[in-house]
Parts: sequence; C-alpha cells; structure tokens
Amino acid sequence: MTRSSDRPPWGAIAVFLLPALVVYTALTAYPVVRTFWNSLHKVLPNRPDEFVGLANYATLLFSDDTFWRSVRNTLVWACASPLFEVGIALLLALALYAKVPGSRFFRIAWFTPVLMSYVVVGILWVWIYNYDWGAVNALLRLLGLDTWTRAWLGKPETALPALIFVTTWMWTGFNMVVLLASLHSLPSEVIEAAELDNCGWGAKLWHVIIPLVKPTLLNLLVLSFIGKMKIFDLVWITTKGGPLWSTETVSTYLYKRAFEWSTFDLGYPSTIAAVWFVIIMTCVLVLTRVLRTRDRLEY
Amino acid sequence: MTAILGRAFLLLVLTLYTAFAAGPFIWAAMMSLRTTTEISNSHFGLPLPAHWEKFPQAWFNSNYSVYFANSASVVVTAVAILTIVGAMAAHCLSRYRFAGNRFVYFLIFSAIIFPPQITIIALFQTLVNYGLYNSLVGLTLVYVAVQLPLTVYILESFFARIPGDLFDAARMDGYSEWSIFWKVSFPIALPALATTVILNTILLWNEFLYAVVLITDEAKRTLPLGIQRFMGDQLEDVGMIATGLMIAIIPVVLIYAFFSEKLIQGMTAGAVK
Repeated sequence: MTRSSDRPPWGAIAVFLLPALVVYTALTAYPVVRTFWNSLHKVLPNRPDEFVGLANYATLLFSDDTFWRSVRNTLVWACASPLFEVGIALLLALALYAKVPGSRFFRIAWFTPVLMSYVVVGILWVWIYNYDWGAVNALLRLLGLDTWTRAWLGKPETALPALIFVTTWMWTGFNMVVLLASLHSLPSEVIEAAELDNCGWGAKLWHVIIPLVKPTLLNLLVLSFIGKMKIFDLVWITTKGGPLWSTETVSTYLYKRAFEWSTFDLGYPSTIAAVWFVIIMTCVLVLTRVLRTRDRLEY
Repeated sequence: MTAILGRAFLLLVLTLYTAFAAGPFIWAAMMSLRTTTEISNSHFGLPLPAHWEKFPQAWFNSNYSVYFANSASVVVTAVAILTIVGAMAAHCLSRYRFAGNRFVYFLIFSAIIFPPQITIIALFQTLVNYGLYNSLVGLTLVYVAVQLPLTVYILESFFARIPGDLFDAARMDGYSEWSIFWKVSFPIALPALATTVILNTILLWNEFLYAVVLITDEAKRTLPLGIQRFMGDQLEDVGMIATGLMIAIIPVVLIYAFFSEKLIQGMTAGAVK
C-alpha cells in the first residue's frame, strides 16, 4: 500500500465516496428498512400508518394459500432451471471445446438471447406457443402429432413447464460461454492425459472434466437458482400468473397485492417482500457456504 | 472414418442448437417486414416483398419515437452518472486505506444480490412523497441506485490492480488527489469503464420491473413498457408488434455487433448478480 496509509486523506475520501453513499442510502438502504417497517403496519394512502405487529406475517404464513402456491411455483422453477441450463450448457461447451469449425460464431450466436429484454422474449414465446399458428404446434402438426398440440400457456398443467423451457432457452447460451472460458483455462495436458488413459467419454466427463470445472459449475447453479427466485418480467408478459395461479411467482403475487388489486394496503405486500428477502439471502449464504468450503482441486 | 462421422454429427447438433437459439429472432425479424394480413395467410413465409415502410409507421404513428427517446434519455443519463459516481467510489475503496473501508465495500457489494422486490414498494412510496413518481428523473435515479453495486464491484477489482507506485509518482509531481483520479486512475481504467458502460446500457435498456411500477404516463413510457402497452392494445396486429420488437432489439444488436467480446466479458463479470 502507499504511504497515504499513514494518515488517510479524509477530505478526498469524503468527496469520492459521498455521491455513491448518498445514492445507496437514499435509494437502496432506506427502502429496505422502510419495507421492513411497512411489514409491521397497515399502510394506506393519506392516512398515518397503523401498527399491527406481526399480524401480516401471521396471515401470510398461515392463511394465504395463494402465497404458498406462488412459493411452490417459484421453488419448482428455481430448482429445475439450474439443472437444465447448466447441464445442457456443459454438453454444448464440451462440443465446442472439441474444436469444431466456427466455434467463435456459435459462441456469439448462442449468447444472444440473454441480451434481449424479457419483454421481447416473452412476446416471442407467446407467439411460439400460440395454439393456432405457433411454431411449436406447427412443428407437431408437421410431424403428424396433432393430438399433442395444445394451448401451451393456457393450460394449468403445461404453463409452468413451458415457461421453464423459455428461461432454459434463454440462459443456456450464457452458461455455455462461461463454462467454455473455464474449460479453456484448464491445462490441456490433464484432459489429454485422460484421453491417453483410454477411458470412455462418460467416465472422462464425470471423473476428469466435471471435477475440474466444479467451482464454475457451482457458481452458475447458484446464479441460475437466485435468478429464478426473483423472476417477474417473463411471467408478467406471458401469463400474468395464470391460468389458475399455475405460473404465479412470489414476485408477481407481490406486485398484484401492491399495485393491481385495489386493496391499497402496502403493508401486506411489504411483508411478502420481507419474507422472500430473508429466504433469498439465507439461500445465498447457505449455498455459498456449503459449496465454497468443499476442497478445491489441485492440478 | 468414425472421427469424421463424429465431427459431422457434432456439427449437426451445434447447427440445430443455433437454429433453436436464433430461430425466434429470425422469425420476428421476418414478421417485422410483413403485414399482418400476409402473416395470417402464412405465418412462416419470407418477407417478400419487404415492407420497410412499417418501421416509419411504427415510429411515427404508434408512439415508438416517444418510447425510444424516453428509453434513450433515461439510459444515457443513468449510465453517465453511474460511471462517474461508481468510478469515484471504486477508486476510493481500492486506493485509500481507512477505517470502515471494508465495511462500506461490504454494504455496497451485498446489495448486488438484493432482490428488487425488497426495495420496490418503498421506492414507490418515497418517489411519490418527493414528487418523483411517474417522472423520468425519478426512474433515472432509481436506475443509478440499482446498477451502482455491480458497477462498483466490477470497477473496484480493476482499480485494485493498478500499481500504487503510479500514484506515488503522481503525488511527487504535485498532483492533487482529485487530479490523480481524473488523470491517472480514470484513463488507465478505460477498458473496465467501457465494460461497465456497455453492460449497464444493455441491462437498463431492457429493464422492466422498476419502469412498470414507477411510470404510468403514456408520454413517459420506456420502450419495454411501450411494447407491452402496444401488445395489450393491438393483440391481433402481430406484424406491427414484431416491428416494435425490432425497434427495441436493433440498438442491442448494434452494440453487440461492435462490442461482442466486451459485452460477453461484462455479462459474465456481472454474473454475480
């Protein structure tokens, strides 16, 4: 460190840090605190907040079926997505790693979906899933599988899987690019040695490659999990939580309670936010703690 | 022989996946050049003849010029503020050793994983209180706050790698702390700054949740809101919606065409989010 460490120039530090701290305090820290405060109150417009203690929490946790339905949907999404996204991405990254011609092009093309807003993606997939002329049903009819055609987003049984498919389509390319970078940073001798040992493709994948890229894999799994715990935009554009709550996520339910349903109370939705915030932060802490302390592989 | 077959099979799989990944966009791009009547006749037809006039139509008749201008002004302003405020904070945190340094860093860093839901309701209340609800200024400020943690995080790790000797030399030459930042740190950090600028531009250009909560006026809608609105009003007009989608996508595609590596780098660095 430099000599300035003897006596920090507080004046300069204040000037450099103050704008960021003001923004952070006013528009991040304060809203978080205010949300927790809200969660203990009945918050109606043009009226002083009325303290209700833990009543909101009690209602939410013990008698709000819609909330639990949304929690279940969100957890299904958050647990299924990482496996698909990261699993398929690993296979694709290995395929590109095998030095196929045009790998640079593939990499750039596959990354594209994550650069698009969920609004654009949502509308595209509403069309793709359209019953009469969507690409999915058109393909099924082409293959003579007319009995399989259905309104994919209109049926409670298929709506959530259909949306999970969309996020998988969107994020697989991103995971692939990250994994490819991680594969390229490995010493090639290790992978070549496995080739010499003449072990099968599956064994090589399981015993050599996966352990080597494990830190990256775990990061991506956690990332995908957290992303789905927060998902809102895609659902809002495609199904608004329907049909019959089958795609309701915690975020969309919170939005409805705060800004759509004319209950006007901002206290109860704040309780949803507070509970979900605590759950997400706990998941992050637990997952990073559990996954990080595992021994790193030496090579 | 099997090697060649294997290679060919691999290439086939990769090509199929590419069609799957890019197909929806190509479909939308084709529909954006066809009228809705043409589309209803054959949904997967080629755009022949291409109706380029649909772009000026959407731009002038369906308010897309307004949405685009709103998005552009919010994103440009927010990214400019973010870059300067974020760089100053990152410079300070990586360069000076002072009591509370790591505490401030941890505070800002931990906000990266905050779900937006924890702030959205209170932000709505706060902006209403200060008359910034339903205003592009309010949305811009919120965008600065939303992207600040990630920006500081990316920049801090870059600034921390600038050798301290450089600053000592600058101080010998009589530079003030303020001019050290502008004349030493800032120019050296340009590659990292470019990464955050491009990343923030794309993320904010696509942002939907904060916009949908904080903006209701037709004249203040950003592009994602405008598209959603248009989709709700003109559900049947598939051709025109596709044109609107393309208007939102084209800037992103242009940025990606010129800065693909930088953007991939930024997105993956921002992967912590």
